[in-house]
Amino acid sequence: MSTAQLLLDNTGEDPRRRAPLVLGEQDFATVTEKVCGIVERPRPPRAWYVAFGVSASLTAVLFAMLGYLFVTGIGVWGNNIPVAWAFDITNFVFWVGIGHAGTLISAILFLFRQKWRTAINRFAEGMTIFAVICAGLFPLVHVGRPWLAYWLFPVPNQMQIWPQFRSPLLWDVFAVSTYFTVSLLFWYVGMIPDLATLRDRAKGTVRQVVYGILALGWRGSGRHWHRFEKAYMLLAALATPLVLSVHSVVSFDFAVSKLPGWHATIFPPYFVAGAIFGGFAMVLTLLIPVRSLLQLEHLVTLRHLENMAKIVLATGMMVGYAYAMEVFIAWYSGNPVEAFTFRNRAFGPYGWAYWLMVFCNVLAPQVFWFEKVRRSPWMIFAVAVLVNVGMWFERFVIIVTSLSRDFLPSAWGKFVPTPVDLLTLAGSFGLFLTLFLLFLRFGPMIAMAEVKSVMPEGGLELGPHRGHGQYWGEIPHQHEQQFEEER
Amino acid sequence: MRARRLELGGEGRVETGPDSIRAAADSGTSPRSAGAGETASPGPGEQPGVGGGDGKGYWRSLEELTQTPRFRTFLEQEFPGLEEELASGASRRSFLGLLGASVALAGLASCRWPRELILPYANRPEGLVPGVADRFATAVDLHGAGVGLVVTSVDGRPIKVEGNPLHPASLGAASALAQALVLQLYDPDRSTTVVRREGGQAVAATFEEWDAFAAVHFARLAERGGTGLAVLAEPTSSPSLHQLRHRFAARYPRASWVEWEPLSDENRRRGARLAFGAGVRAQLHLAQADVIVSIGGDVLAEGPMALAHARAFASRRRADGLDMNRLLVAESVLSLTGAAADHRVALPPAALEGFILDLAAELAQRGVAVPWSARPLSPPGSPARRFAALAARELQRAGGKGLLLAGPRQRAEVHALVYALNVALGHVGRTVSFTAEPEGEGGGVEELERLAAELEAGAVDTLVILGGNPAYDAPANLGLAELIGRCPTSVHLSLYDDETSVRCRWHLPRAHPFESWGDVRAWDGTVSVTQPLIAPLYGGRTALEVVAGILGHAASAYELVRQHFAEKLAQGDPERAWRVALADGLVAGTSLAPLEPALDAEELATAATQLADLRVPSGLAVVFVPDASVHDGRFANNAWLQEVPDPLTKLTWDNAALVAPRTAAGLGVGDGEMVRLEVAGRTLEVAAYLLPGMAEETVGLPLGYGRSRAGRVGSGVGFDTYRLRTSGALHTAFGVSLERTGRSYPLATTQDHHAIDALGSTERSRRLGALVREGTLAEYLADPEFARRGESKEGVRPLWREVKLGGEHQWAMSIDLSACIGCNACQVACQAENNIPVVGKRQVLRGREMHWIRVDRYFAGEVDAPRVVFQPVACQHCENAPCESVCPVAATVHSDEGLNQMVYNRCVGTRYCSNNCPFKVRRFNFFNYYKNLKPVEKMHFNPEVTVRGRGVMEKCTFCVQRIEAARIAAKNQRRPLVDGEIVPACAQTCPTQAIVFGDLADPTSRVARLHRDPRSYGMLDELFLKPRTRYLARLRNPVAGEEEA
Amino acid sequence: MKGDGPAHRFLFPQWTNSLRPWLGVVLVGLPVYLVVLVWLGGSPKTTDVGYAPQQPVPYSHALHVRQLGLDCRYCHNTVEVSAVAAIPPTQTCMNCHAKIRTESPKLLPIRESFATGKPVAWVRVHDLPDYVYFNHSAHVSRGVGCVECHGRVDAMEVVAQVAPLSMGWCLDCHRDPDPHLRPPEQATSMTWTAPGDPREYGRQLREASRIEPSTECWTCHR
Repeated sequence: MSTAQLLLDNTGEDPRRRAPLVLGEQDFATVTEKVCGIVERPRPPRAWYVAFGVSASLTAVLFAMLGYLFVTGIGVWGNNIPVAWAFDITNFVFWVGIGHAGTLISAILFLFRQKWRTAINRFAEGMTIFAVICAGLFPLVHVGRPWLAYWLFPVPNQMQIWPQFRSPLLWDVFAVSTYFTVSLLFWYVGMIPDLATLRDRAKGTVRQVVYGILALGWRGSGRHWHRFEKAYMLLAALATPLVLSVHSVVSFDFAVSKLPGWHATIFPPYFVAGAIFGGFAMVLTLLIPVRSLLQLEHLVTLRHLENMAKIVLATGMMVGYAYAMEVFIAWYSGNPVEAFTFRNRAFGPYGWAYWLMVFCNVLAPQVFWFEKVRRSPWMIFAVAVLVNVGMWFERFVIIVTSLSRDFLPSAWGKFVPTPVDLLTLAGSFGLFLTLFLLFLRFGPMIAMAEVKSVMPEGGLELGPHRGHGQYWGEIPHQHEQQFEEER
Repeated sequence: MRARRLELGGEGRVETGPDSIRAAADSGTSPRSAGAGETASPGPGEQPGVGGGDGKGYWRSLEELTQTPRFRTFLEQEFPGLEEELASGASRRSFLGLLGASVALAGLASCRWPRELILPYANRPEGLVPGVADRFATAVDLHGAGVGLVVTSVDGRPIKVEGNPLHPASLGAASALAQALVLQLYDPDRSTTVVRREGGQAVAATFEEWDAFAAVHFARLAERGGTGLAVLAEPTSSPSLHQLRHRFAARYPRASWVEWEPLSDENRRRGARLAFGAGVRAQLHLAQADVIVSIGGDVLAEGPMALAHARAFASRRRADGLDMNRLLVAESVLSLTGAAADHRVALPPAALEGFILDLAAELAQRGVAVPWSARPLSPPGSPARRFAALAARELQRAGGKGLLLAGPRQRAEVHALVYALNVALGHVGRTVSFTAEPEGEGGGVEELERLAAELEAGAVDTLVILGGNPAYDAPANLGLAELIGRCPTSVHLSLYDDETSVRCRWHLPRAHPFESWGDVRAWDGTVSVTQPLIAPLYGGRTALEVVAGILGHAASAYELVRQHFAEKLAQGDPERAWRVALADGLVAGTSLAPLEPALDAEELATAATQLADLRVPSGLAVVFVPDASVHDGRFANNAWLQEVPDPLTKLTWDNAALVAPRTAAGLGVGDGEMVRLEVAGRTLEVAAYLLPGMAEETVGLPLGYGRSRAGRVGSGVGFDTYRLRTSGALHTAFGVSLERTGRSYPLATTQDHHAIDALGSTERSRRLGALVREGTLAEYLADPEFARRGESKEGVRPLWREVKLGGEHQWAMSIDLSACIGCNACQVACQAENNIPVVGKRQVLRGREMHWIRVDRYFAGEVDAPRVVFQPVACQHCENAPCESVCPVAATVHSDEGLNQMVYNRCVGTRYCSNNCPFKVRRFNFFNYYKNLKPVEKMHFNPEVTVRGRGVMEKCTFCVQRIEAARIAAKNQRRPLVDGEIVPACAQTCPTQAIVFGDLADPTSRVARLHRDPRSYGMLDELFLKPRTRYLARLRNPVAGEEEA
Repeated sequence: MKGDGPAHRFLFPQWTNSLRPWLGVVLVGLPVYLVVLVWLGGSPKTTDVGYAPQQPVPYSHALHVRQLGLDCRYCHNTVEVSAVAAIPPTQTCMNCHAKIRTESPKLLPIRESFATGKPVAWVRVHDLPDYVYFNHSAHVSRGVGCVECHGRVDAMEVVAQVAPLSMGWCLDCHRDPDPHLRPPEQATSMTWTAPGDPREYGRQLREASRIEPSTECWTCHR
């Protein structure tokens, strides 16, 4: 084994020693340098500009399309009767799903003491926020009279009318907005120490002030750390149930309805699994290029990728199980309409979409059974991209095939997307990537403080608790800072 | 109904003329609109209410506002402690300033919509109550005979057409065409001025100029005794016009008066003359017939008595009384009558023309005295022979209570023999009677040929065309269009400046039937007066007035009709009689007396031999049929009719070559493929439509499309099939060649929007049985509950405690599938009543048609001889409505009277309700379909129904505006509602009265009884929706042992 | 961090501490303020009440109703049979003004209208949205007085809107009609007061003539 491999490969399972999560000759300083360097370098690499140019123009397309939609009407999309929901809600569910990985990684893995999360959680949380922003867009614009969308919020009014609390759409409003708020807080709170670091290293006054304000006057005193860890822990606990609730509620949009193919009790767990699945895939899709672009192999190690690949494999099989269950129940329930809906999904006009979905979401991840694949970033990347495609089509299949052929054959229809549909979808990716690239440029994309805490110097290896029980460990530079305070 | 001449005008209306119409349309009370931002635009020179002196309102009201206790308490909750601050002046003012500023913003932003003007009458007509609709009886000439109508008029605007219950040809129903007349009235494409065309360019002129010209010109003609003068008129039943026609003949002895209509019943008339040697017309009494045998034609949907026939036919289809009639149909092109048949055979035209001989032979075998030596034409064992045998057996069994019919597309000989057989079978006086042709027999295609020849020869220098559109619809071989253009002085009176007008020297705008005085005679002879409902919008004239002008002494149509009726109504008090005639919509006791015409034996014999010796070229044949939507093309510019789907093909905005699937397979033609038809050297490219139930080797070509100057709606829509039609083969052309082009054409259908794959079609036929439940009379007698077989006895059980609806009434509907014949009357009625927009072909292709009630058409059985079933589907007003629980803003909720309420102004348009509706009867405004309407177009709106803006969901409301109107009227008079007082538009116009609406809370109401009927079932009962609309299973009455339909 | 950090690090200056309470105020106050804005600012109470546009003819209800004692129905004569309480035709004005004040310049538009047959363009004061179907006859014949919605018209020189005519305002009465009911024959009286407790009196009236005001959507929206 060459030293390089030695440096970069921490995937081996050696029972005698805990596999390191940070590789190479790293100490706190180098980690700080590495991460802050990305933000502080005067100009980002050309690749960043290219990516930003593309995504920014896609965002422009998105807003052009929405403007067109607002002045003209829903008719600019391909929606019709019976297929009254199509790309709009498909995109919504897709993005909400993406928005799951972040909080899952940060909150749930945090509570489960999964230390390997440290290198990727910040990144994933950022992604969550941006995905939820994209998601939140669609429920608002898909209504026929967007200027009245505020009627969905319970505001006292002269009509003495309230929203209808029996409607899943209303639950969505609350679920998604709550999830967004908590995720945002969680993300921000976790970022405070790193923002402080950036502030302290900042050269320009502007950066100093901006990061200074964002850092909320963090001085890293013991009290700060104490409060910080409590707050972080609480938010994690708060976010965890939300991870499960949001997508369960989103799935109610369908599960609560009467429509064959929607009306199924399996939906909540099925959707949550799918969301985690898609979310992790999206993390990988973004992380792998960034990792190699910014040479983060020492921090975001193969082990991290491998772990995520395993999760993708696991959740992928859950999703596959859900697909199988749907079909089974359709047959077992003895409901002929339900049974036809699934025959129609597989062999009807949209059969191609169904099989594409099955291939991407169930078959493709199976390659992760092989160590080789799990440990080659670009193979993982390829699968992740397929999964993203598959997850979008999952939502498309559920929504469109069920609507296009329901109870009365006389009312059957077909959905054909318009260019506006396609451009809006592309535009939403543009918005997502734009926000993400901006974060890369100006934010601490890796949670330095947390990474440090899992480094040998972080004291977990040596400290009294050996990383069991309390998590953040004794971090030497705290003492430094405290010392300074007292001086 | 009151009889009165109406001026245009009323509450919020002014006198006639487009500008004042704008004022009317904009003065808010007329076109209503949903949702903020969708309200009516301000009239000319009006500012929005905010600004000017009005702005002050905010501040004043704010001051008051802060004094109200509610506001104080509110402050207590929201700003604890602020109360004191408010008390102390300064901070109070600042707070108000704060609040006020934002309030002012809000105010300016939206709140007050454009200020409205109220334009009351200067002098309100006596008895007119603004805001209360008036209903006037009138009558129009459709299909060459009169149909009585009742037109609803709000503030002087006719907005809704219904049938006249007293009129024998209507009985309260109105056809889709008749109902669409109101849209035609307000068609902005109608011609507005006299047009004079000199050397290719058109000059706007006036009636004064025309009168001046006519006075001189026709005086000169009169001196010549009318030499070179010809009148080409559409057949009319108007007695006054016929009177004028005699005076015309007197003044212009050497002039010719030709009548032409592309869909005439000339064959019937010639057949009658053959059979009886005299002009005779048959009056059918379908209600008396136990067995009806129809050869071609469409007795239930075609011709001036269709509505009455449908009513009579349906009266014997219901299970009550159990004396169900039996309908046997032999035809080439699938028709609504064929769809209603108990036994049906599809015969190619050649075989169909000989069918009467086969039938006669079978009857003769059974000892019926056929007045000619009857020999069958078709080979034994052929479908025609087998069907003839069946029909003969049934007719004989009926013992004089049968009825034999032939359609207008059958040869005169066939008609003659049919008359003869009806006589021989003793039907006369029981199921059919004969009356005279009151206004003579009218001309035929020979006359038109003669006229063409004269024009060719230049023998005609003055051609007056009264209505019609001969340049478009005359037989192609005559080249009439070009000949008209050559005629030195040609005049065309018509609603539109159309294909014919453009070739004439003069175009005179015609007054719409609802703008004109006149009279018509119904098929049974009953005379009605046509009274205007509105002053002519564009100052058009009626045919009466134009002819009077030609005769040298101009008079208004009113005078002409009055003086014609002066002698008719002489007995008693003429003024009173006149008013009664207007009020009732008919002149009592004017129906024709039955005759006993004698058969002309040898004429019949020759007819029979002619028919027997008929040799037609084999191969494909073409049959020209009227189109259910545009008839012969005269309604091409009527958007309602263009968009209402054809009853059988469900095709909108097009016609197509109808071919049997098997024939198409043989030719390798696919659905929607363009094919090139060639008939005697004339070719036409037309899209093919595969229609089950068509006869083999037969192409059905609906007429009336492919207009070039119909208007913005109808021009260039569909294919001009007249180009294949020649005077020699007006109805059927043989020796047709058809070749594929490989190109395909988008056909916009409202059902099976896209070709259904095998998977879908098998599933559809599997579900059909449960959705549309049918059975034979025998099955019904064996088990009256046959429709509910398979449903669990105790029904579905609720999982939760059910909501009790506490309303005083419980509204419900019942639809009898045995009565429904699939005509589109209900769809158009609904469209007119509820301001339903038309979306156009491209939107229909996308699947966005807006009809609140649709008539689902299914084919059952095998493709070659399918059973056709119709099922009208509108909102079922489920008691457990899935749409209601999912709307996030509570825009659709249930009323305590069981109505599924849709509130447009609350709807934000999530479309979730539609997704959750198992019947998919909800319709969404994907665009603002009523953007920038012309003022005149706004006039047809029903002010009692909101005009929906974009982004709003809508659906059937059970015509709640009618419910509320009746309820308020009853309560004002302190009396209870009576059953049948509330009739939704669809039920009101249904020719067969298949739709019944009423109150379930009253166990004696008709609808309550029908819901208890053993045939009654709810669609998708298994979903436990408890729909308030229930269907009565369809009954058929086939001969036991014989295969159905 | 390394020692070079702290030298120039941005920390919040002392005085910012004083802002903390304000932060709280904003966080709480802003949503409340927005709610107030939508609730009150958007309400017809604010936007419509007091609307008193200029009319082409300065017709004084105070004069005609209070001093001359005209009944509402002399002009608005369709109010008991129709949804609309019709604005009178010019002819109605001329019944009197053919003889009285025949020269008054204020009445010029009336005389013109009567001569030409063109209507007088009155400005609508009580203007409900077009999707609201209010029916005068239904209310008047149940004994809801004109004054309930239009206020003391007999005191108005220029007609102004006194009630918000908002949906909530309609519902208030539909949910609790008793205090607003009177004998139908008293409907047009501007001065009528209930004998005794209005609510109790109204209850008797309601029960006597089975008045059940509906709050179903389709009662007003179609």
